[in-house]
Amino acid sequence: MTFLARHRIILPVVSLAVLLAATFYMQPRAMSYFGLNLLFNLAVPIALATIAQMMIIMVNDIDLSLGAFVSLAACVTATFLNDAPMLGLLILLALILSYALLGAVIHALELPAIVVTLGMSFVWGGIALFILPSPGGAAPGWLRTLMTVKPPFAPMAVVAAVIIAAVTHLLIMRSGIGTVLRGVGGNARSVARAGWSVIRLKALAYGLAGLFGVLAGMALVGLATSADANIALRYTLLSIAGVILGGGEFTGGKVSPTGAVIGAFTLTLAASFLSFMRLSPDWQIGAQGAILILVLTARLIFRQKGSEA
Amino acid sequence: MNDHERAPLVSLTDAARYFGPVRALDGVTLSVAQGDCVGLVGHNGAGKSTLVNLVNGGLAPSSGTVGFATGGSALEAGVRSVFQELSLCPNLTVAENLRISHSALKGPNWRRPARAEIGQSLDTIFPGHGIDPNAEVDTLSIAERQMVEIAIGFAPRGSETRLVILDEPTSSLDAGIANQLLAHVSRFCASGGAVIFISHMLGEVFQVATRIVVLKDGKVVAERPVEDFTRQGLVDAMGHVTADTADATGTGRDFGTEVVRTDQGLTARKGEIVGLSGLAGHGQAAALARLYLSRSSAWRAGKAPEVVFVAGDRQRDGVLPLWSILRNISVSILPQGSRRGLVDREGEARVAQDWKTRIGIRTDDVANPILSLSGGNQQKVLFARALASSAPVVIMDDPMRGVDVGTKQDVYAMIRAEAARGRTFLWYSTETEEVCQCDRVFVFRNHEISAELTGSAITEEKILEASFEMQEAS
Amino acid sequence: MTLSKMLLSAAGLALAAGLAQAESHMSETADKRIALSNNYAGNSWRQAMLQTWQEIGAQAVTDGIVAAADAYTTSENQPTEQAAQIQNLILQGYDAIVLNAASPTALNGAVKEACDAGVIVVSFDGIVTEPCAWRIAVDFAAMGREEVDYLASRLPDGGNLLEIRGLAGVFVDDEISKGIHDGVEVHDQFKIVGSVHGDWAQDVSQKAVAGILPSLPDVVGVVTQGGDGYGAAQAFKAAGRDTPLIVLGNRQDELQWWADQRDATGYETLSLSIAPGVASLALWVAQQILAGEEVPKDLTVPFLKITQDNLDDALATTPEGSVANVTYSLEVAQQVISDAK
Repeated sequence: MTFLARHRIILPVVSLAVLLAATFYMQPRAMSYFGLNLLFNLAVPIALATIAQMMIIMVNDIDLSLGAFVSLAACVTATFLNDAPMLGLLILLALILSYALLGAVIHALELPAIVVTLGMSFVWGGIALFILPSPGGAAPGWLRTLMTVKPPFAPMAVVAAVIIAAVTHLLIMRSGIGTVLRGVGGNARSVARAGWSVIRLKALAYGLAGLFGVLAGMALVGLATSADANIALRYTLLSIAGVILGGGEFTGGKVSPTGAVIGAFTLTLAASFLSFMRLSPDWQIGAQGAILILVLTARLIFRQKGSEA
Repeated sequence: MNDHERAPLVSLTDAARYFGPVRALDGVTLSVAQGDCVGLVGHNGAGKSTLVNLVNGGLAPSSGTVGFATGGSALEAGVRSVFQELSLCPNLTVAENLRISHSALKGPNWRRPARAEIGQSLDTIFPGHGIDPNAEVDTLSIAERQMVEIAIGFAPRGSETRLVILDEPTSSLDAGIANQLLAHVSRFCASGGAVIFISHMLGEVFQVATRIVVLKDGKVVAERPVEDFTRQGLVDAMGHVTADTADATGTGRDFGTEVVRTDQGLTARKGEIVGLSGLAGHGQAAALARLYLSRSSAWRAGKAPEVVFVAGDRQRDGVLPLWSILRNISVSILPQGSRRGLVDREGEARVAQDWKTRIGIRTDDVANPILSLSGGNQQKVLFARALASSAPVVIMDDPMRGVDVGTKQDVYAMIRAEAARGRTFLWYSTETEEVCQCDRVFVFRNHEISAELTGSAITEEKILEASFEMQEAS
Repeated sequence: MTLSKMLLSAAGLALAAGLAQAESHMSETADKRIALSNNYAGNSWRQAMLQTWQEIGAQAVTDGIVAAADAYTTSENQPTEQAAQIQNLILQGYDAIVLNAASPTALNGAVKEACDAGVIVVSFDGIVTEPCAWRIAVDFAAMGREEVDYLASRLPDGGNLLEIRGLAGVFVDDEISKGIHDGVEVHDQFKIVGSVHGDWAQDVSQKAVAGILPSLPDVVGVVTQGGDGYGAAQAFKAAGRDTPLIVLGNRQDELQWWADQRDATGYETLSLSIAPGVASLALWVAQQILAGEEVPKDLTVPFLKITQDNLDDALATTPEGSVANVTYSLEVAQQVISDAK
């Protein structure tokens, strides 16, 4: 591992650690099994959504419909998956496939993903409102149990984060197909020249994004117990910020799944930290932005130092 | 045709390829057998890249046939390509880049064999390369990337490598490493492999090729064993008459005041062509980039820029790939040509048209996208962009990569003419022949200036001496 | 306990007894901390609500009734964010959370976490469905019905109505609209000929109404949801149409416009809405629960109705850009609790 590759993950880890230490100082109650779970359980769906966004950013696209899509998945989970599990499962599968199809279409017609996904966000939002015109539905019992499980030693949120990071790291960073997918972001032409079908690879990347988007929706319903057509609209921007905060870059296929999970947790923690600081809500968004800029600036400085060395 | 008795690995019969009305390749018959090392030469746009793409299966012929020994695909026939533009994934490691073109690497622990395979290939071709298979490609220098790309081209990748196409493989390599490659190509062919070698460096072609194929306007105009060619004969066959460069340097010319002086000791006077030489990667490009950045402001794009830059890595630093040729030329002069913040469309078109004819950009319409041009012509556009501005100092970072001999002569003439009108040129080049065009040359070694040569002292021997001195001493 | 209940039920009438009762509960909650979790602060109603909370809360802290009454507003109106906020409030050790929820259902998980941690959750205005929480609900459907009832009393002959709805997809909007449509079914002389979304904002309503007016026949009445009446009136004026009977929603600009019209033409209408002071009601209810009082899970808030008679009073006490308000006292809270029993 080169120095650069190694410190790409160090910075997100340090950011999270610093913020966590500050939070514990402000609010010692958080330093417990119970506290950590309260602090982080809502970060689990965000982490899954961030992974989904990362799949798209990995192939040099960006997904502005993710929040609406996660909301839709949440609505399906709280309605069909609860009432008629088989049908619900089929719908969720169809959603994943439609994401894969979207990726293929974007590549085949050379459409800008930013425009297509922006348009699709209204489609997803519309379907979600159609399925659940007013907030409601119920989380399937097994999902609720899963999201409120109390594993020994570490709370659910921490265990889930480790599992998500480990699985996606194996999938994206270690496996052969994951390497090729990152290659699409790095240099799609060279991947095509090596005999790969880039359209299939893009469909796969989008399909994976759809899968993790659906998982995010399910996890969210498991935590919230019910859904709402607007439940996850924030996730679009949060997920993008999470990917970048976690050491990823908008272009060039440079992503880090572990970093993405850490980025999602850092963002969640930043909001809690500001709330503990009793900062006026008018300043909170700005302060959140300031934290983001701070971390990214630190990254830039480190990288410049790194390239000089 | 040829006296090859061995079965051909690939044979093209009257193969042609059209892009719309453009006949990129106009009926080529060619076969490559085991042990062949075919030198493929031709000026930019002669159809070399198209021919390569037919042989490696990247394109299907519009008419005629392309047949492989095994009857299957190019991939199955063991045909590998190393492309002119660097085509690695910069975000992946060296070993991971091998995985992209090596589907047979499977299983949970595919990294170990991948590292071993690329490491071995690098060791074989470039002994003492010092490239870590775990390094991410974008941490490597451009020469190292090209070495990796070549190594991947020669790596067995689960089957047997039979034919390797090398398209300008030495354009970023310094002489020592280029020689390692040429030696390997000779070994490879001697052991029954085949190579198609494309280069503008005719010396290299003569050194490795057993047979030379000359392409001109999409047709094979000459195909003979290398012994039957002379340098002059080859250049004549390509269709360009090399200008007599013996008396190129304007000795006795008077230069104006000094316009450039850096901490490193790099100086240039008004109207002077100053060359930077030495082995590749010894700090020349960095010195130029520093000079450029110190003379231009990131905040104010003034009406009259002090310096302009011609990039060597045109994919990264040069072309705006989504824009037309016209826009690519005019982007440097927009501040001068604009009135009240609006672009003067007519003036813009006039300038582009003017430079199209002056520098000979091969296109019917400057409104075409820049990527419709061949590599050499894209480079001409970058020249036009720089020269169209009013800047008194022009910085050129190895701008002649992948430019054919004829174009080079045109550009040399233009540079001299512009210099005579008072412009100053700072010119880094990996080709000694180009450096000899300069009035004064700084030779770099280990990021420092090791020698300053002027006038008749600028010779290949002197430059090499200054480049290698340290190595000999240590 | 029985005695205490009897006293409570009489609290509204017997002031002295009520005060004594309140005193006895006040000391019990002196070390308790209450937090307000609010999802949105971007309109005059919410601003007035926060204002009321701050005033009443500060007073309660000064009086030693509770140890803290802090207000928290999420920076974005999103249920996921508010869920995180509630979890943070649990961590901060509040004893009770008074909640104006972004979603009636999507916060249930967080509310359940709070209940499990022993925190009292009282939701009002935007209520939550989680059974462990208390709800101070507004019968929005009844508000819609009342609007049509009023129109029927004023316009016995009926006619065409224009409906201005709120923010699409928000349940308050659905509820009021449902009530209006129920009312129209009862008073079938009325017919709703057009429906636009005004997002409870003057400018949005004005644009929306102006857009639909040219396609509408004569309109005799406009049913609204509050915050949109003034914009509707402006749109009618700009289109050169007669001003129909517009039911208003207690905003100061609406009341001012009404008073001007009344003085000029004798215009008569009704204005009704939920007073933002309902936050103070929720505060007292939370305090009562903390004091160990037995409180039913579902409570109902009365509307604040302004008629021709008390228009001037209401206008005088409503600051410009705000909404007519009333602050609920502990006694009223006890009254509401006892009514629900």
